[in-house]
Amino acid sequence: MVFSSYIFLFSFLPLVLGGYYALPWVFRRLHRSEVFLSRSRNLFLLLASYVFYGWWNPKFILLMLLVSVVNYTGGRVISYPKAGPRQKRAGVTAAVVVSLSLLGFFKYGMFFQTNINEVLSWFGVGGIGIFQIVLPMGISFYTFQAMSYSIDVYRGDAPPARSLADFACYIASFPQLVAGPIVRYRAIAQQLIGRDHSWEKFASGVSMFVLGLSKKVLLANPLGGIADAGFGAQTLEVSDAWFGVTAYAFQIYFDFSGYSDMAVGLGRMIGFEFMKNFDAPYRAVSITDFWRRWHISLSTFLRDYLYIPLGGNRRGPRRTYLNLAIVMLLGGLWHGANWTFVVWGAYHGLLLAFERYLGKESVYHRLPRLARVVITFVLVLVSWVFFRCSTLHEAVLYLAAMIGLGGGTEPARLLAAVLYGRNELVIMALAVVVLAWPVPSYEWSERLTWPKAVVLAAALTLAVMAMCSQAFNPFLYFQF
Amino acid sequence: MNNARTESMVLTVGFILAIACAGIWQAIVEIGGGRPLQALDLFRRVPTAANLRAYERDLEDASWLTKQLRPGMQYRQFVWLKEAGEKVLIGRDGWLFYKPGVNVLLSRPRPISGNPGADDPVAAIVAFREALAERGIELLVVVAPNKESVYPDKLTWRAAGMSGVVGPKTVGLLRRLDAAGVKTVDLFAVFDRVRQTGGPPLYLIQDSHWSPEGVAVAAKAIAGQIIDYGWIERGDIAFEIRPAVVERVGDVLRMLQVPRLEQEAVPETIRCGQVIRSDTGATYKDDPDSQVLILGDSFLRIYETDEPGSAGLIAHLAGQLKQPLTSLVSDGGASTLVRQELYRRPALWKNKKIVVWEFVERDIELGAEGWQIIPLLPIGKNSE
Repeated sequence: MVFSSYIFLFSFLPLVLGGYYALPWVFRRLHRSEVFLSRSRNLFLLLASYVFYGWWNPKFILLMLLVSVVNYTGGRVISYPKAGPRQKRAGVTAAVVVSLSLLGFFKYGMFFQTNINEVLSWFGVGGIGIFQIVLPMGISFYTFQAMSYSIDVYRGDAPPARSLADFACYIASFPQLVAGPIVRYRAIAQQLIGRDHSWEKFASGVSMFVLGLSKKVLLANPLGGIADAGFGAQTLEVSDAWFGVTAYAFQIYFDFSGYSDMAVGLGRMIGFEFMKNFDAPYRAVSITDFWRRWHISLSTFLRDYLYIPLGGNRRGPRRTYLNLAIVMLLGGLWHGANWTFVVWGAYHGLLLAFERYLGKESVYHRLPRLARVVITFVLVLVSWVFFRCSTLHEAVLYLAAMIGLGGGTEPARLLAAVLYGRNELVIMALAVVVLAWPVPSYEWSERLTWPKAVVLAAALTLAVMAMCSQAFNPFLYFQF
Repeated sequence: MNNARTESMVLTVGFILAIACAGIWQAIVEIGGGRPLQALDLFRRVPTAANLRAYERDLEDASWLTKQLRPGMQYRQFVWLKEAGEKVLIGRDGWLFYKPGVNVLLSRPRPISGNPGADDPVAAIVAFREALAERGIELLVVVAPNKESVYPDKLTWRAAGMSGVVGPKTVGLLRRLDAAGVKTVDLFAVFDRVRQTGGPPLYLIQDSHWSPEGVAVAAKAIAGQIIDYGWIERGDIAFEIRPAVVERVGDVLRMLQVPRLEQEAVPETIRCGQVIRSDTGATYKDDPDSQVLILGDSFLRIYETDEPGSAGLIAHLAGQLKQPLTSLVSDGGASTLVRQELYRRPALWKNKKIVVWEFVERDIELGAEGWQIIPLLPIGKNSE
């Protein structure tokens, strides 16, 4: 189910909120305890989340359940009072290996098979028959969350879950299930036991949700049309190529940060507090800064569970560069089973290592802030070409068009009809205004005022009107 | 959280009411209209992925809220932003274009599905030509140019001065057909030449199809080529042209699916030429025993079975060849559906020496049911 869909907004969400807030009323009349109430709410959310997830394909609920059971069991083994270091290590290893194996099979199985065939074809050997594997939606997100539990419990950073239902609720919780933010167990363990609910918290959740919905429906979806036209074109003029990739950069930001805003907002509506996932990333002054602002939950996850265990920056400059490259390479691969994502990750890894090598006293750091923002944005734009294209060949052709080696044909001139209409120019301008807005949505929604309430009401009305007139538009990050 | 309580309460209650009322009102509308509750359909189907998708789509289509909001939003987007939805592109000087067709012209070729008998036009055309050759029938392929291929300058300011453009996919198709020995009529060059000489537009402004002038030019070019090849000689039936004026709201305008825009639009006044038999004064009629069978899509239908009738390409080609034709038309289905229909109607083969197969340029990629290889009935069954 998609947040920006009729069925979610007008059927699923009111039913879930109604049920969730009706539970205390029912159970208090039955004189049940607060603990019972909190457990029953988690169970209710779990069932609702399975409906939400199963809406895409009911069969894959079983896979999520399996990941939940494996990691929950791992946590029980690790936290068993009589467990020694070996048993604890075995528990965490088993949980991580099973989770990664499932992720590897479903996400990288097809990639592996097609690459084997490619290599075989180099030697003139016929390929193997491809075993078709469907990628379960959001598997990268929920396996990472599940592993974070086992690792956090092993490290002693978090207590074990009090029940399988609570843990499964954490894994499946519908607000952040399919596209994050990646919520780490230690950040939410206490909230699974008891959460605060208040008018203020709910209203701030509504604010975030409406802002996210507006970003998705009013900006990301129309921007997607521009980006699709650019990236789908047979030939491109230089200006078209830059316009197309800029539209994609805006689209992916509004799409993904819109989803994250909605996730945070929905979480607040049911008492959870999720971390901020974006912090004005296109205002970053360096690639290092960009990664502090973009998909923060992933970059901190990779830092804490991969970069630091690899040695971080504690083993000298060369090892630091290598660690950065490894982390970003794997980060790229996490996004998708395609060489384009590997190159995208490697490119960012190289830039991070290069910035580390230059140090803070370099010429680059002495440039005016605006110049650094622009340079960083252009570097990021180049990386989005790899992210958006489905093959490396396509990416190279697109990059060639960006430096003037792709246009000059008559159809390329016609592309202006789909790129530079009034609607497209207005949307791009609006996107720039929103990006330049000084207060990000996370902070904007913290204190509600009457003018803000009016803005939110108008935004919701417009977003619903646009949603009802648009075709189905899933979120970009659903594929990861 | 540091929100003011009153504002928070108002926003929360307003939001809840907004999301809950849509469903409640929908139920009231359905019960009031004596219809079963659509939402309960969920429990009448097995919850498979496909059924859930269909349920969601049905719910959205039946939604009172969507029906209220969609036309207004689309109207405002059209008027304020010149945004015309998935199917329409607004060009210059009021010209409207069929967006998927423009996309075919601009986009990279789609990857082949891996089934060569399903989506390769050349394979399907060559197979058809060979099957016809076994019966001693000639094939002439006519690719009707997309409107934007003939009037790129009406699509965007950046194409100002361009009088015609042939997309790489079309060039590739025509080259491959030529290499395979398939005879084609190059309407792109013909239309380009006519455009250079001025005169009325060859395409309609609000419609994706050609104008009566375009029809006449195409008919003349096709007939000329048939006669040049010596496949048949001109007949001896004299036809004449009678002017007929129709008013038409273009198909592209209707694709906007905004009733208010259709109501506000001024229909195009179209001066057609109806083809009349000189001897009887009757409007043109097909002859099932003709030597020529013409297959095609809505480019054959317009003015022929549409108003005013007998003024489309079929009638005009018949007028040029001085003999009636046999025709088979499948709207949007010239790639495969029309040949499937032909397979089911073997009587149409009687006396045939030529098949003229017209399809619109965009069907190279967008043809309904792709480009399947459809066998012909065995020769022995011809005369049924």
